[in-house]
Order: sequence, then C-alpha cells, then structure tokens
Amino acid sequence: MSAQVTVPKTVTLHKKNVWTGTRAVAEAVKIADVDVIAAYPIRPYTGIMNDLAKMVADGQFKAEIIVADSEHSQFEIVKHASAVGARTFAGSSGVGLAYATEAIGVTALGQLPVVAVAGCRALDDPGNFGMEWNDVFLFRDLGWLVSWAKDPQEALDMTLVAYRVAEDKRVMLPHFVAMDGAALTHVSTPVDPPPKAGVAQFLPPYKPPYPLDPASGPISKAQHIAPSLIGPEQRKMVDVSMKESKEVIREAWKDYETYVGRKYPPFIEPTFMDDATIAMVTMGAYTKDAIYAARKMREKGIRAGVVRLRYWRPFPADELRAALEGIRGVGVLDFSYSMGSADFAGAFFTEVRSALYSLEERPPMVNFILAGGREPTVHQFEEAIAQVHQASKTGKAAKMVRWPTLRGEDV
Amino acid sequence: MTALIKSIREVPSIDYYTAGRRTCAGCGPAIGYRLLSKAAGPNTVFLGPTSCMYVANGHQFLTSPYAVPWYHTQLGGGGAAGTGTAAALRALMSKGKRKVEEVNVIVYGGDGGFADIGFAGLSMAMGYDYKRLLFVLNDNEAYANTGIQASSATPWGATTTFTPSGKVNQLGNLRMKKNVALTMAAHPGVKYVATATLFPPLDFMNKVRKALSSGGPSFIELLTPCPKGWFFDPKDTVDLAKLALETHAWVSWEYAEGRFSLSYRPRKPIPVSQYLGTQGRFAHLNETEIAEIQRMTDEEWGYWDKMDKLGQIVLPWVSSPNPAVTSLISP
Repeated sequence: MSAQVTVPKTVTLHKKNVWTGTRAVAEAVKIADVDVIAAYPIRPYTGIMNDLAKMVADGQFKAEIIVADSEHSQFEIVKHASAVGARTFAGSSGVGLAYATEAIGVTALGQLPVVAVAGCRALDDPGNFGMEWNDVFLFRDLGWLVSWAKDPQEALDMTLVAYRVAEDKRVMLPHFVAMDGAALTHVSTPVDPPPKAGVAQFLPPYKPPYPLDPASGPISKAQHIAPSLIGPEQRKMVDVSMKESKEVIREAWKDYETYVGRKYPPFIEPTFMDDATIAMVTMGAYTKDAIYAARKMREKGIRAGVVRLRYWRPFPADELRAALEGIRGVGVLDFSYSMGSADFAGAFFTEVRSALYSLEERPPMVNFILAGGREPTVHQFEEAIAQVHQASKTGKAAKMVRWPTLRGEDV
Repeated sequence: MTALIKSIREVPSIDYYTAGRRTCAGCGPAIGYRLLSKAAGPNTVFLGPTSCMYVANGHQFLTSPYAVPWYHTQLGGGGAAGTGTAAALRALMSKGKRKVEEVNVIVYGGDGGFADIGFAGLSMAMGYDYKRLLFVLNDNEAYANTGIQASSATPWGATTTFTPSGKVNQLGNLRMKKNVALTMAAHPGVKYVATATLFPPLDFMNKVRKALSSGGPSFIELLTPCPKGWFFDPKDTVDLAKLALETHAWVSWEYAEGRFSLSYRPRKPIPVSQYLGTQGRFAHLNETEIAEIQRMTDEEWGYWDKMDKLGQIVLPWVSSPNPAVTSLISP
C-alpha cells in the first residue's frame, strides 16, 4: 500500500534581497554613483563602509574611498570634495560624531550637500553599544537636514531622497539619514533596490553652482568676515534654505513614487490614527514595537494610535499638530536625554511639546525616556500606553517624565 | 615637469596672491604665499587652514587676495581638505565628469595647523597617492593670529604669551622645536619633502615646482619670520631668513625619492647669538642660555652635515638642554 503524497503547487516568490540597514544604505550610495567616500570605523554604522569598500574593490562602481585618520578628517574630506563638485558620502556614530562636530558644523554653514549616515549610538563614557539619539541631536541646530529611517528599505530610499533634497538649489544643505543602532543597522529584512532607470530620472548628476575648481574661475569661499557685515544674513540664508526644504522634501517623495514606484508620506506616518483618542509619538526603528503595543492595547479597548516623524530637521511641526488635532493624550517615546532641561525631560519630548504649545487644546503629555541603551520591551510600551490613557482620562499626567527601562526607583 | 626658474628675471610677473589683504608690514608668511603662487601658476586650488593666512588675508569687507579658487578649512583640517579636494578632482576626471588636466592642490597652513592640531590629518594625506597635492607649512614658530602662543614648533627659549619668561621660569619655552619635515619624510614611499625659507627666493619657488611635479603628495616647511611674534623690525624679514641659514638656526634641505641633500651651506657659520640678538622673543636670554642654544645648534648641524655627505636621512638626536640653565629646576 502506497501512501498518497500530495505535491504542493509550486509558488514563485518575488525574489527579494534580505539586507541589513547598513547594506541597504551601501546599495543606495552605489546607485547614487557617489564620487568620494570618507570612512572611519565605529559601531554601529561601520558596516556601510565595509560594504562600500568591497563594492569599489570589486569594481561595482567607481569612487575614491579615503580611510581617514579620524572622524574630523572624514567630514572635512567630504566637505571639500563636495565643494569641488563631487557627490560625497560619510557617516559615523556616537562619540565619532562628537569628534567630528566642528567639521560637521562648517559643512552646513558652507551649504554643501554632503550626505551622511548617523548610526545612532550612546555617547561615552563608559563605552556603550546601546542606542540613543543624543549623538545625532548634537547637530539639531546647525543646518543639517535629518531624516529618520524605520527599516532597511526606508533607509535605502531615504538615502537616495537625501541626495535629491540636499542638492536642490533651493536647499543646498547637508543631510543626515539617522538609523537606530542595532535595531536598524544590524537587522535584516527584505529590500527591493529601485530600478536604475527610475533613479536616473529621479536623481540627476550633481552640478554645483560654484565649484571650487580653476576650470570655473577663481572664487573665494568662507573668508573671515566682520560680524557686523554679513553675520546675521549668512545665518538667515541657512534658515531660509531649511524653510524651503519642506516643499522640496514633499516634491522629492512625490517624484520618488513616480519614478521608483514606492510611496511614503513625506513627514508623518500615522498608524491607527483615524479613531485614536491617544497617540504615541515616535521616530525610527522602534516604531514597529509601538505599533504592536498599540494593537494589543486596542484589544483591551484603549484606542491608541502611533505617529511617526520621518524628519527631525526640518521638524514637521505643522504636520504633527494636524496629526494630533483633537487627541486627548500624547506619549513621547524618547531615546534621548537633556540633563537639566525644563522639567528634566528628554530632548525629543521637549521639541514635540514645544510644537504642540500652539494647539488650542493642549493634551496632557508623558515623556518616556529610554536612555542608556537598554532595549525597551513591548510590555513597557504597553504600560506606557496605559499611562497615557490614564492621563487622557484625568486631563493631567500623574508623572510627566518616566524612565521605563530604568531598574530601581525612578526619582 | 614644470621648468625650474633659473634666474630672478624668469620669475612670472603675474601674482595669484594679490592685493585685498591686510597682513602686517613685513609679514613673512605673506611673502611666502606670493612666491608660492607665482611658482604654482593659475591652475591651482589653494586651501587655507585657520591661521594668520586666513584671518589677515580675506578679512572684514569681503575682500580676497586670491586670483585662483580658495577655500578655508578648519585649523586641524589641512590634511583632510587637501585630500578631499584632490580626491574629488581625480574622481570627477576618472569618471568623465570633468576635463582631464593637471590641477595643483596646495594647502598653506601654519605651524599650529600642521605641527599640532592637524598633524594626524597631514600624516594621513601623505600616505595617499594624489599627485600635485602639496602641503606648505608656513612656520612662524607660534600661533600668531591669536596673539603669539607657543606651538610645538616654537624654539627652545622663546617667549610667547603661553610660555612667558617669568620670575621662576626665566627661560620661556621649555620644549625643543619639533621637526615636522623629518616626520613627513618618514612616510614610506614619500616623493618629495623639503625645508626652505624666504631666502634665497628661487630656492623655495623651485622646491614648489619640484614638489608639484614629484608624482605624489609632497610637503615643504617654510620658515617665515614674523615681525609681531618675533619682535624685530619689519624691514628685516628677509634678512632674518638669511641670517637663520647663516647661523644654522634653520637648515634648508630636500629629500627627493629617498635622496637627501642640503640646499644651502653657509660658507662660514655665524654665531647663533647674532640671529637671537635681533629678535625680542630671545631678549631675556642670559649668556649661559645662549651658549646652550649654540651647543644644541652645533650638535644638530653635525647630523645635517653627515646626512648631506651620506645622501640619506639620519635622525638628528640632540641631547636635552642642560637642566642647570633652566631655572625652573631648583638647586
């Protein structure tokens, strides 16, 4: 007697690449045909440079790769290469970004469209591989655009869009793509690289307005000035560029959909917000945990939504206010701290609260500080939602600033 | 290779470092810049780490003395700025995005910028293979634009605002001057390293041309007397440069493809006291201290003389200053 064996029908799956966040960004840099890359190792962003170095060594694309002596040199290299007219790429994490601060600052004030990845990492001391946002927040005031990716696919897409926005003549500012360390840099998911033809239309080669090249005649850039002469005007130019960038970002994501075929909301990604009474505000990779927690809490009758910011600079204040209109309680999942700040809250929370101040009816807010790099659990996010729900019922948070991942008393 | 200049009559009449600056009367680094720009010619990018040659050259009313492209870089950014600029030019040329031609990239930095804060970046740059990338250290032996503070290239015994002569430490600067050019020569495969000063002018200009044609990154350390920092009469800048050579206080040499040679050998060395005596920064030194400088200078010259004969670099090791002359040491 032979057993009847049912052979299942063959299913053809669309072939996808399974890439980490760092690998996905390296693919974007290759597709963007970047000319000059400056590398220096520090976890967790390093994998991008490992992949790029191998791609160039294998002849997959042509670029000058400089192994710098420090992050400061790294960012000076790309700044100057960009001034000549090259498309450039750099990146760093944690104290590496802190070390490069001077060079990062002048790149924005020089209005050079460098694109860099910040792989978010806790600042020393002691050395800590955990994920925090304070390294990226060092540059919140200087004139860098900062977008914040959720998963490897978005990190790839955001990198291409970053070049497009940064190089737009209305903007001409450098651009960070922030990636949460480990949770995005080292997590693999299926990624679709965009079609080459589409990218070619979306992202034309970079043409600098005033290249630092004898072929374009003599220019002097960044000569020392008397502050009374053009000091405020020069700052204003960066301010105006940042303001202009909002429209450019909207156009870019619309064009990205047209040419590449993937659609994103430009600034704010709402989840479950149609009928939500409370909302958790997030950025980055842990948004998916927040969504999972919100779904679980909905089963218990709490109508929680999640609002993810895709850009930190320019801060989408109008869009955030619109998304939170009528919401009766707001929780902020915040991987930053700001020691000694107003109410001893986190830097992310403080910015969100500042944006919401002009709402007619201000909801109670709770700041969940996830500092120090200890990974939060879904259960902690569920508890956070319950606490925001409680605040929405009473109209006031019992405790405004909470440290959910802390062991011991939260004083 | 761009032709060497055989006589002062052959020096190009066009300046690419021109009016529009507000450098001090008798400024050594400014004279150096002028010679450098003449030697390099129009197909050049200049990069300027923060120094006097930043603050005094394009200041206040948006004037600029540069007739070729110029961009500021941060005090410690000289090596990286040169590398990034050269990398961009090579990338754009090799990818067909720019016409292929020879473009000079020259970083003119001070001793603070290259001997101290930008030392690592300069070393990085010397390890790459970018052609026509030249670093010129205009060495006025102090942070001058901030008000004459000591750098690691300030000579032993000089007073600066950070190393003043005082009641307990009468000597002033207790560190011996770092020889940056020798550290650059220590990079394997380096094509061209030299030292020079403002005298004789053709020597420096020809070294610039040799450096640019050497086929790799190159480095020249140029001693540039500074009237404000060294306290001497502005009319004497070039004479003082000459006196530095004649007294062995400064040694002009080149190291091309691994071959060392002296560029200037005084016929009969003059006592170093004559060089020190014309400068206010050494005016506080007593006879014992001056004798100690003479001893160290002679000891060091022995090595330069030997190197010239060997055609190879030997590290000049000079025994430390006698503690008895540094009054910091209590009896």
